[in-house]
Amino acid sequence: MSKNMATSLVRQTKLLSIVSSQLNSAACFRNIHCTAACLKNRAARIRVGKGDKSVTYEQAYHPHHIGHRKGWLSQHTSNLQGEDGAAERVVEDVFIRRFMYGTFHGCLADEVVIKRRGNLLVICAVMIQKLLPSKFYFLIGYTVELLSHFYKCPVQIEMQTVEEKVVYKYL
Amino acid sequence: MDQSQLAMVVPRRYLLSEPPSAPVMASSCSQALRHHVCKSSRILRIHLQKSYRSFALNSAADQQPAVSSPEEIVIPKKKTWSKEAVLQALASAVKRDPTASDSRFQDDPYLTPKTSSEFKLFSLSQESGRNAAKYFINTYPKYFQKDYAQPHIPCLMPETLEAQIEEASEAALIERIRMRKVKAAVDLYDQLLQAGTSVSLDVTNQLLDLICFCGDHDPAQENVPEQRNEETEDVQDEPQAKKGRAPKASGLLKATWKENNNAERIFALLSEPNTHSYSALIRGMVKYGAYSKAFSTYTDLLNNRLKADVQTFNALIIAAPEVKEKYNEKWELIVDLLKQMAEQKVKPNLLTLNAVLKALRRCGTLGKSQAFPVISEMKALSIDPSLASYNHLLTIFYKTGATIQGQTDILQEVMNEVSGKSFTAQDPDDAQFFITAMRICLDTKDMEQAYRVHELLGVGENWRLLGNDFQQNIYYARFFSLLCMMENIDVMLKWYRDLVPSVYYPSSNIMRDLLQALDTDNRLDLIPQIWKDIKQLGHANRQNLVEELLILMAREKHNQEVQESFAECALDIKKIYDTGDRGKVLLSWTAGSLSDLISVLLAAHRRQDAWEMLKLFKTHNRVPSEELLNRFLTCVKEAGEVNQAVELVQISAGFCLPETPKLIQRVQQEFELTEQQRNMLSDLEIQTFNSD
Repeated sequence: MSKNMATSLVRQTKLLSIVSSQLNSAACFRNIHCTAACLKNRAARIRVGKGDKSVTYEQAYHPHHIGHRKGWLSQHTSNLQGEDGAAERVVEDVFIRRFMYGTFHGCLADEVVIKRRGNLLVICAVMIQKLLPSKFYFLIGYTVELLSHFYKCPVQIEMQTVEEKVVYKYL
Repeated sequence: MDQSQLAMVVPRRYLLSEPPSAPVMASSCSQALRHHVCKSSRILRIHLQKSYRSFALNSAADQQPAVSSPEEIVIPKKKTWSKEAVLQALASAVKRDPTASDSRFQDDPYLTPKTSSEFKLFSLSQESGRNAAKYFINTYPKYFQKDYAQPHIPCLMPETLEAQIEEASEAALIERIRMRKVKAAVDLYDQLLQAGTSVSLDVTNQLLDLICFCGDHDPAQENVPEQRNEETEDVQDEPQAKKGRAPKASGLLKATWKENNNAERIFALLSEPNTHSYSALIRGMVKYGAYSKAFSTYTDLLNNRLKADVQTFNALIIAAPEVKEKYNEKWELIVDLLKQMAEQKVKPNLLTLNAVLKALRRCGTLGKSQAFPVISEMKALSIDPSLASYNHLLTIFYKTGATIQGQTDILQEVMNEVSGKSFTAQDPDDAQFFITAMRICLDTKDMEQAYRVHELLGVGENWRLLGNDFQQNIYYARFFSLLCMMENIDVMLKWYRDLVPSVYYPSSNIMRDLLQALDTDNRLDLIPQIWKDIKQLGHANRQNLVEELLILMAREKHNQEVQESFAECALDIKKIYDTGDRGKVLLSWTAGSLSDLISVLLAAHRRQDAWEMLKLFKTHNRVPSEELLNRFLTCVKEAGEVNQAVELVQISAGFCLPETPKLIQRVQQEFELTEQQRNMLSDLEIQTFNSD
C-alpha cells in the first residue's frame, strides 16, 4: 500500500513539473503578477483629446520636463547625500496635498507647492477667488493651527488668488 | 576716497611711502606694473598730505612680507558669532515696507484689507479659524500625540481640558487650580474638608489666590462654549460674548466682590492664615472693588501681628483714593501706608511707586506738588521708572479738557528722559503712555514733541507698548490730526503715504482734516487722488465728507486740466449718489451738493452732463440757486444753444423762482429767439408777473 501511495505521489510531482515546464515554454508566457502596476508611461500626463479640455501649465508638461520646463512641487533637502527622512517627507506631502484639496474645496487653481526651510513648512497655493476673503482667512487660520499641531513644526501659508484657473492650452 | 578704500584698491605689497627701490621692482615686475605703482604712490602721497591719520598708513606701508618690522602685530581674539547673527544683520537692514499691509495677512490684492472694518473682520476670522482648529485638537487629542519635535514643543501638544485625577485628594486640588477651574476647585476643597482630610496651608493659599484673581467665577474659556452659572448673577458675562478675543480686564472688573463669597468663607475656615492668605484676600478685594473691606482686612492682619508683603501694600495704595474723599486725606493715607511699609521693612518696587503716582492723579493740585518727589524717591531707590510712571506723570500735569497754562516743558522733560531708551512691559499702564503723550501734543499743538514721541516708538521693543489695534488707531488718529493742523501739505502727504494704509486706516474725520489742510495750502488739485483714497477706505458714503469735497471743488476756478480732473471726480461722485445695488440709497442730494456738482461740470465745459443733472433738481425736490442758473445761462450762451436757454427759463419758472423775470430778460437780450420762443417767454413773463 505504501508503495502504491509513493508511486502515485511521484507521478503527481512529475505531472506538475511537466505542466510548469509547458507553461514556461516559449508558446505561452502568463506569469503571476504580484506587485502593483506602475504605469510609468502614463503618470501625470494628460492625453491629447478633442480640444475642449483646458489644461494648466503644470498639467500640460509631462514629468520628464521637470527641471527643464517645470519646477518641483515639493522642496526639501532629504534627497541630498547623507540626509535622511525622504520617505517621511513624501508621506507628509501627500497628506498636506489631500488636506489642502479638501479644506479649500474647489478653490485650488493649481497644485500646492510645499517648501521646507529648516523647521518651517511653507505651503504655497494659488486659489480661485471663489470665497469671500474672510472665509479664506478662516480656513487659513484653521489650516495653519491644525497642521502645526499635527506636525509639531511652524507652518505658514502663502496664498495668491486669481480670478479664474489660468489655462495654458486646450487638449 | 579715504584711507580704508585706498588700502583696498591698491594692493598691499605695493604700498610704499617712497618711490620703489630698483632691486625689488626690476627683478619681477613689468613696465605697466611699475607705472601703476608710481601712480599709486603719487596718489598715496597726496592723500598723506591731506590726511591726519597718516600713522596707520605708515605702519601698513612698512609691512612688506619679506622684511620683518619692529612693530607688534596684534592678532585679535577670534570672535564667536551666534547662530542667528547673519539673520539678525540682514533683518536690521530691512525696514518696514510702506506698501504692504500688516504681516498677519496674505500678500495678495484680493486678500488685503482696504478699510479698517475689513482689517478687523479678516483678523477676527483668522482667529476664529484658529479657535476652530484648537477645538478639534483638544477634542480628539489622540491624533496629535505623536511627537516629532526634538526638543519637545509643549505648546503644540493638545491641551487637556478635563481634570485627570478623579479621587478627592490634594493632588487633584492642585491640578484643578493649575487648570484654573475655580468652581471645581472650590467644590473639591469643600469635599476634602468634609471628608476630614486636612489641606496644607500652601495649597489653600494657592486656592485663595485663584479665587481672588478670578473673582469667584470661572474665567471665560474661548474654545469651550461657556457655561452660564446661575449662581453668579452679579457677574456681567458680556466679555464672554466677544468671540476670538481674550476678555478685557475692564470687562471682568465689572464683576464685584460679593458678600461672604467663597474666598472669605475659605479664609474664615483657616486656622492660621499667614501673610500670603491675607495678601491674596486683600488683593482680590481691591481688584473687585471692595475697598473698605480691604482696609479692614489689613487691620486684621496688623492685629494678628503679621507682616504684609509688597503686593499687599501695592493693592492698598491703589485702594487708598477710593476710601477717602478729600485730597489731603488721600495723600495722608498713602503716606501712612508707605511709613508702615518702611516699619515692616518691606522694600517697595516699581509697582508700588507707580500706584502712588496713579493715586496722585486723583489728588488734584496736591498731585502736582508731590509727583516729582515721588520720581526722585524712585531714583533714590534705584528703580528705573517705566513708561507707566511717565504716563501717570503726564496725566497729573495735563488733565484732559483743562486749559494748558505754560506747562509745556514737562512733556519735553519727560521726552528728554525717555528718548532713545527701549522699554519692556512692566506695568499694565505702560500701554497708555503713547496715547497720552500724543493727546498732549495734540492739545498743546507741539509738533516737535510729537515727532520725538513717534521716534520713540521706533526704538527697540517699544512698538509692543503701543497697545492693541484700537489704541493704535487712537494714537495715529491724533498724530494725523496734529500733522494736518501744523505741518505743510508736503510733509503731511509724505507721512500719509508712509503710514496709510499699511499701518493706519484713517477715519472720515481725519480725511476731512486732510481736505482742510489741502485747502489751507492751496493744493486743491490733489483732491481727485484723495477722493480715490476716500472711496477705497470706505468713507464714500459719508454725507458731510462728500459734500465738503464738492464745496471745495466748486469754490474756485482752476486751470484746465485740474478742472478736467475735477469733472471726472464729480461724475464719480454722482455715481455714488445714484441708487446703489439692491435699491439702497446711500446718500441723499441736497441743493448745495447738486449745485456744487453742476458748477464743477460747467467749469469743465461738460454741458451735457450738467444739463442732465439739472433735471435731478426736480426729481429730488430741490431748488436750484440763482447764481447756478445764471452761470448755466452764461455757459449755454457760450455754446449758443437757444433751445436750452428757453428750457432753462421754463425750469426756473417751474420752480417759481424770484429771479425768473431777470432770467427772461437776459435770454431775450442775449439770444436770438424764434417767434415761438418769444411767445413762450412772454407768456412766462406774464405768468410770473401775475404770481408776484
